[in-house]
Amino acid sequence: MKAKRLPLVYPTASFAGLLFVLGTMWYAASSQNSPAVYLLLFALTAVFLVSIPHTLINLAGVRVALESAQPAFAGQEVSLPVEISNSSRATRHGIELALSGSNRDRERIDYIPADKAARMTLRFPARRRGEHEIGALRLTSVYPLGFIRVSKKFASAQTYIVYPKPEGDLQLPSNGTSIPRNSLQAEIGEGDDFAGVRAYVSGESQRHIDWKAVARGQPLMTKQFAAEREGFVHLDFSALRFANVEERLSQLALWVIEAERARRPYGLRLPGTEIRPAVGQVHFHQCLRALSLFQVGMPGSA
Amino acid sequence: MSMSRSKRDRSIPRRPLLWLAAALLFTLPPMFRSLAIWVPCLFLLALAMKFWMEPRGYRLRFAIFKLMLAAVAVLIIFASYNSLKGIEPAVSLLVVLISLKVLEAHTAREFQVMVLMGWVICLCGFFLSQDFAAALCLLSAFALLLVALIQFHRAASPGALWPPLRTACKLLAQAAPLIVLLFVLFPRIGTGFRFEFRDLRAAGTGFSDRLSPGSIASLANSSDIAFRAEFPGSNTRPIGPMYWRGAVMWHCDGMEWRVPYAPASISRAPNQSPSGITIQQRITLAPHGARWMFALDRPFETPQGAMLVRGDYIRSVQPIRKTRRYEVVSSPEVTRNDLTPYERKEALELPASISPAVRELAQSWVAQNSNSRAIINSALQFFRTQGFRYSLSPGEYKKDDLEQFLFHRRVGFCEHYAASFGTLMRLAGIPARVVVGYLGGEYNDLGDFFLVRQADTHAWCEVWLPESGWTRVDPTNIVAPGRASLDLNSFLEGRIASGQMEPRRSAFLARLARSAIFTNIRLAWETLNYQWDTRLLGFDADVQDVFLSSIGIANHGPYFLIVEVLAIAVVMLVIYFGWMQLRTRSRVNPVKVLYERFCRKIARLGAQRHPWEGPSDFSMRAAQLLPHESERIQQISNTYISLRYAPEPDAIMLDTFAKEVSAFGR
Repeated sequence: MKAKRLPLVYPTASFAGLLFVLGTMWYAASSQNSPAVYLLLFALTAVFLVSIPHTLINLAGVRVALESAQPAFAGQEVSLPVEISNSSRATRHGIELALSGSNRDRERIDYIPADKAARMTLRFPARRRGEHEIGALRLTSVYPLGFIRVSKKFASAQTYIVYPKPEGDLQLPSNGTSIPRNSLQAEIGEGDDFAGVRAYVSGESQRHIDWKAVARGQPLMTKQFAAEREGFVHLDFSALRFANVEERLSQLALWVIEAERARRPYGLRLPGTEIRPAVGQVHFHQCLRALSLFQVGMPGSA
Repeated sequence: MSMSRSKRDRSIPRRPLLWLAAALLFTLPPMFRSLAIWVPCLFLLALAMKFWMEPRGYRLRFAIFKLMLAAVAVLIIFASYNSLKGIEPAVSLLVVLISLKVLEAHTAREFQVMVLMGWVICLCGFFLSQDFAAALCLLSAFALLLVALIQFHRAASPGALWPPLRTACKLLAQAAPLIVLLFVLFPRIGTGFRFEFRDLRAAGTGFSDRLSPGSIASLANSSDIAFRAEFPGSNTRPIGPMYWRGAVMWHCDGMEWRVPYAPASISRAPNQSPSGITIQQRITLAPHGARWMFALDRPFETPQGAMLVRGDYIRSVQPIRKTRRYEVVSSPEVTRNDLTPYERKEALELPASISPAVRELAQSWVAQNSNSRAIINSALQFFRTQGFRYSLSPGEYKKDDLEQFLFHRRVGFCEHYAASFGTLMRLAGIPARVVVGYLGGEYNDLGDFFLVRQADTHAWCEVWLPESGWTRVDPTNIVAPGRASLDLNSFLEGRIASGQMEPRRSAFLARLARSAIFTNIRLAWETLNYQWDTRLLGFDADVQDVFLSSIGIANHGPYFLIVEVLAIAVVMLVIYFGWMQLRTRSRVNPVKVLYERFCRKIARLGAQRHPWEGPSDFSMRAAQLLPHESERIQQISNTYISLRYAPEPDAIMLDTFAKEVSAFGR
């Protein structure tokens, strides 16, 4: 991405401290008519002034490239992998990146050598379900003295998806019927007999992650236990009796995760959309995406 | 490229803290010189504690505890200075509070505050001392604080020593012309408020208005600088010994002499200007808090802000609290002026307490000789033949101990000889007065100036002779021949070398001090000192005014001048920016440029390359879109790929590629 406009320059909080010190020096120098104190005052002033072009140049040739963000559940964190490249012939120091408008979640890279790139992950909270635009990113730097911040804005039309927060009290419906019953069925995947491992699905409980395998450097795997059942299930929006759309979507999202974890084919019925029963990553994300985008922007939705 | 987020805000990183400590150590020497000893010690202790506490995660947690520590510190300061007013207690307070802050700070954000505080300590250091050595320390501290700040912002970037230092040097080098510009041109607007420092050197060395036995001998070991003198016209250097006139004492009290309480200003009649050679001197006087000013025997033109006082010496109108530079013209020839009856009476006045033995001695000279000159010679003969000794430690005398000195102990320093000789002359009926000032001075051929130290303080006599007026007689010269033509240190070293005197230091150190290389280093150091004092410390608001009008921009007014200086500064910053931009701009890759040109050409034909499309994918798609060009498209893409990703670009291939691209689309 290329920067939108010329970089902005504005003082940081410690600039106030610097002004105070300079003011003190000036008062002392002029009231004592002391050339030595004037020398100190002017040295500090001049070094500060000279640091401004240094700070400005520190962002020259630095570009941001966004990769696609992994979908996240509402309430969790969105991780946005970013590549910051330095096409100049000098090492750039202390580069910070933040979403425009939020100063808190500033990520920092200490240095990027000339003609090299660095990767970082920008994390920010996923607040509401739906598809959101990343909007603008701010690349800032206070190097070398920290009294002045230079900020470059990079606009991005890229979006990220936030799935509904998986929560609810109801059991997963037992079979093809769409009405959940209080069956005596055991918690799926919570049996006693170890039956193997499969890939971890983001959003599900971390209790069954095979941490020993992770420690060996393998990817995240979930341990499965032999209480899992056969038979598909229809997850139906209209069959849920909550008044609130968001509560229904949250319940459905939880069920999608539970069904996927149990490797049990599941279908999703939303008003106007139907997804046929299946299992697997593609199907899983298709269902969650449908839940995420359901009635976004309509009156009454979040 | 390492990332560091969460760790940064919990503790102060170690590397910048080390730089900060190094910087703060440089602020200590001026403190040790002028503050109560425990203040810099506490400061050192706080620094050491910080290094011990920081890796262990210890910190001062409770606000009430911090407040109590601060209160205790204030109490101790009050106890050791008996006051909180004045510069030393104020600086002590600030240093103690900063020590506490150093102990207390524990987040990275506070590091910036600590560096700012370090700069405030540098400012305090300049209040304590402004000599060259102190300034060197404080400016080093200033630069090291800069390095600490840069290292802090570099965080985990490689290199802990040289890279931040280099960045700091670059900043300072670029700032240097700006500093000079600001220093020379930026208007020194007064604030109207003035806070007066208590006299820093009230108990300092040097001159007093009283010459008592031992007062000058106590200065003999002082290496403090009294003043430095240049002779702007090089052909007018004095030929004889350099007697620097400081004050004339009229009031005799036996062994003790005193300056009149209110020295009367005189003006020289124009016809009295000397006919012979004149010596112009440019003197840089170290601040002493009093009004003494010095000039070669005897000044006849007074510098600005000074007056000529009865007794032919100059005196400042205002107390001299900072380095003062002035030019004065002296004439070594004695101008004869008449002695008024009142002056004659004053120059013969004697205390009642003089013992009969002393009176008898003076009377015997009067009886033996017919004229004043002969009496003076008898007196000098007395000092020469009666076994008087010249000594730095003559023992204690009181003001009535004239008899003791003249007949029994016979050991003295210049003030003893001058005081007793003056008193004896008055007893013999010859009007006499004692002059104090300096004698000699060490010539620095590097800087072409004379350096006069407090150790060179001297006292001599003047007697009134009808035929020549006030005439200088230096009885010390009789006892210590050769002293007049040297500064005291060289004179003493010469005596020690010839075995006439006990060495003051170990023989090795004395030899080292005399060695050529050491002497050269010392002279170079003194030259630097002199340059600092005259060029830099001398450039105050008044000198700046003179300078600005000499280059013709004094009438611009302060605000216009500020605008001018800022405009030049902005231009300089823009130049720096452009220069750095040029130096760090990414290299132009000819292969990439050519390929971009190819893409523009093919886009005109209807095949637009998407930003995410690799050259190979694009060539396939373009070939489908433009079937009649497919061969050339493939060819160019293949050349591009092999050129772009080859370990070493091939010049011939690049040439072919350029031809292919330029031929494309025709």
